[in-house]
Amino acid sequence: MLAAPVDKEARDRGAEQLRETWKTPKGFRYCTAVNNSEIGKWYALSAFFFMMCAGVLGLLIRVQLAVPDNDFLSADRFNQFFTMHGSAMMFLFAVPMFEAISILLLPGFLGARDMPFPRLSAYGFWCFLIGGIFVMSSVLFGVAPNSGWFMYPPLATEAEGMGSDIWLLGLSFIEVASIAAAVELIVGVLKCRPPGMRINLMPLYAWYVLVVGGMILFAFPPLIAGDFLFELQRSFDWPFFDPERGGDPMLWQHLFWIFGHPEVYIIFLPSIAIAAMVVPTAAQRPIVGYSWIVLSAVGTGFLSFGLWVHHMFTTGLPSMSLGFFSAASEAVVIPTGIQLFAFVATLMVGRVKMSLPMLFISGALAIFTAGGLTGVMVALAPFDWQAHDTYFVVAHLHYTLFGGMVFPLMAGVYYFFPFITKKTLSKRAGRIVFWLLFVGFNVTFLPMHLTGLMGMPRRVYTYPSVMGWDLLNLISSVGAFIVAAGFVVFAIDLLRPRGRQPFAPRNPWNAGTLEWSHDVPEENWGVRSVPYITSRYPLWEQENLVERMDEGRFYLPDAPELKRETLVTTVLDAKPIQCLRVTGPTWITIVAAVFTGGAFIFPTFHWYPPAIFCGGVAIASVIYWLWTATSQIPEKGKDVRDAGLSLKLPVYASGPASVGWWGVWITMLGDATAFASLVFGFVFYWTAKPDFPPAGTEHAMLSYLALGVAALVASWASIYRARIVNHQGKVATTRTLLVAAPLLAIAGSGLFYLSVANADLDPTRHVYPAIVWAVMIWTIVHTGGGVIMQCYCLAGAVFGKVTPEHDADLWNVTLYWHFVCLTVVVAGLTIGLMPRVM
Amino acid sequence: MAKTEQDEERRTLSEEADSLWMITFAGSIWAVHFVVCYGATAAVCAKLGGDAAAIMTLRLALGGFTLLALAGIAFVGWRSWVQWDFLNDWNYEHALAGKEHRHEFLGHASFLLSIISFIGVIYVSLPVLVLETCQ
Repeated sequence: MLAAPVDKEARDRGAEQLRETWKTPKGFRYCTAVNNSEIGKWYALSAFFFMMCAGVLGLLIRVQLAVPDNDFLSADRFNQFFTMHGSAMMFLFAVPMFEAISILLLPGFLGARDMPFPRLSAYGFWCFLIGGIFVMSSVLFGVAPNSGWFMYPPLATEAEGMGSDIWLLGLSFIEVASIAAAVELIVGVLKCRPPGMRINLMPLYAWYVLVVGGMILFAFPPLIAGDFLFELQRSFDWPFFDPERGGDPMLWQHLFWIFGHPEVYIIFLPSIAIAAMVVPTAAQRPIVGYSWIVLSAVGTGFLSFGLWVHHMFTTGLPSMSLGFFSAASEAVVIPTGIQLFAFVATLMVGRVKMSLPMLFISGALAIFTAGGLTGVMVALAPFDWQAHDTYFVVAHLHYTLFGGMVFPLMAGVYYFFPFITKKTLSKRAGRIVFWLLFVGFNVTFLPMHLTGLMGMPRRVYTYPSVMGWDLLNLISSVGAFIVAAGFVVFAIDLLRPRGRQPFAPRNPWNAGTLEWSHDVPEENWGVRSVPYITSRYPLWEQENLVERMDEGRFYLPDAPELKRETLVTTVLDAKPIQCLRVTGPTWITIVAAVFTGGAFIFPTFHWYPPAIFCGGVAIASVIYWLWTATSQIPEKGKDVRDAGLSLKLPVYASGPASVGWWGVWITMLGDATAFASLVFGFVFYWTAKPDFPPAGTEHAMLSYLALGVAALVASWASIYRARIVNHQGKVATTRTLLVAAPLLAIAGSGLFYLSVANADLDPTRHVYPAIVWAVMIWTIVHTGGGVIMQCYCLAGAVFGKVTPEHDADLWNVTLYWHFVCLTVVVAGLTIGLMPRVM
Repeated sequence: MAKTEQDEERRTLSEEADSLWMITFAGSIWAVHFVVCYGATAAVCAKLGGDAAAIMTLRLALGGFTLLALAGIAFVGWRSWVQWDFLNDWNYEHALAGKEHRHEFLGHASFLLSIISFIGVIYVSLPVLVLETCQ
């Protein structure tokens, strides 16, 4: 059937329909685009812009430190600069850049038309941009955070001005975008693969995205929980980190580094993933040890969570505890090493062409190995006690991040540029960029090992000449300018107009993976037709694949209804199960992002009424967007789509077959992690503080609490039952249950609130009442969200958006309520029962 | 028609749920072992101070728990070795389309992960063997 030629007229008609459906809006409506190719580009360019800003701050820091007793910067400004340099590089460059590139490339790797939730990516991007500009511009007004990118209390909690609030709220806002993108990417990998691409045939990049997406889900929420507590202390004086009132600054360090250490691997793995795509192409053969690389990615993902305390070796923890973390830090070397050896093995057995991307990969291997070796050194507690807070650590972390992230990323930019823009970057300029960066980097950071060993502490804004650090610092500063020169050349080459440059060949590197089947010149439809995949390197191993894709012989070669569509397949074996209608250009994501921004940004100025208003509008816009664009019931007779090759697929799906259900499931894993971090805080205070809970204190009122939990569990049971009876076609019972569910939830939330508010628990007096309040607030915010969702389902049932056959919304809300129910029960036990038995 | 296809997802998942979960088992055992070691030590050191008898009990208990974790990982490793079925066809590439390759690939990956987790657990337990005090 595949070999049969397609009638030319039908082929042209299909192409025209696809072109019309997927066209990018023009003029000022261009910013309403939601397609992955547009969002990915904007996202990447914004992240690059913030990197350049952070780089300028780095340069200014180096200018200040070039000579002893310098007064180029004041101490306060210096503090702001190094805080923002680190924060911006981490939150505004490294993580967003991974997400940007993945959004840009992933559909290409998977032969998909787009990501499963295009509007979610757009919303994430606009949140990121607004939050990023807000946080970054604080430097210009001299009010930037100045307590270090880790924001340790009490320095950061006591810091004057709004710097700490900007950091906390601005970056929490950006984390929302990060998590949104992570959900999108995970569901994309699991559900939007082309038919036939079983889990053992996925491109390695997709494996890494899966692992890193999972890590984001478990790493970022502890920081969000920490931010929540931190901001409660800053704004309302609840003493979570104040030892005078039972708090403990160490809790922040734990929560921060449970995020902060996996973060390093969250940055590192995607860049290694780029290497995993470049290396086989350079060697012109399939990667050696596919299973080994998958193992290393997953293994690194797990082990990297056991390392957080190695940032806290000097805080006075029991030495046995330090031992566990030191050992785990050494253990993570094993999977990391396996990945690098698999690359080297691939290069050894292949016939390597030293292309520009490969040059950058080689530089990365060299620099990262050096950084890894110093990593083994500082993972040993006694050495760390010596090197802690010196420039040795600065050298180590820059070696790992430059070698592990920046260089592979540069390789990726050169490698994928023809895919993204259909043009090539200059080879000559690329070589200049490489050598400037490679030499400049080593000139800057190699001497820092010595300055550190000679005792120069980090974060000092100046130093006296007698210490003998002068020459080394001057060399570092000169090196920093060489690096900067490299980036300037790179930026010019990247951004120069290319109107007259000829198009690049379609598969310029002769690669084997699916993204190189792209159209030159650009077409916005992703793939002309979605192919059937039977190998890991289809372009090398499946004959005539690209010709057949081009001729529309595979799936979805047209768009008769002019609706954007992509295939949804099963998780393990990629059997097609649905033709998903994805959403198109819209303003609503921008509106939602602007008001979400307001809800986070106004509280930094302590303007709460406008913040609450913005929060309300943001929720309303999201509801509008969901109501008008998701889970649309197809017209009668159009609920099955002929996808081609005799494949007929439903356009509507609910439950585990739908992408929305997976999206909720994955989001809730992250949410549950944040809640677990709060409960961890509760237990932490108990172990760390002898007076927790303080003697003679009141507890949350058991009777109210028990009733509240019971009502909320009943609300969960109602919505769960509603889903089941709705499926059986009992419409009246469904509606009754859907009315009962939110009423029970409201009553339960009220009781839950009263159980704490009516007790004599003043949250500013001691950390015990404060954490009880925090757990209570967290819980009722979630039940509140649950009430909105239940009402959404009720409205859906009344207005015909939810029917016995079309019940995706009910499935998703029930899934959300499974988690709420768990949260409620655990919260009830934590604040009601635990303190009474402690 | 549409309904059967929607149920396809659940059928495949239940078919392979065992081996899909198996990938995470070894790593999860490592994680649980890690958290228990850290949590128990923190609780004993913070609440009982430097009490030598308590630390001895802690070390013995963690030692026993370590053996349990290792046994668990070894079991997962054996199960996944059987699923990989290496000695049958000497296949470690699994690069072909087809259920068998997917099935064996999942076994292979979780076998390798069990090895890493096994080593990881041993690493983490070393301090329990040598350190005799909290400080």
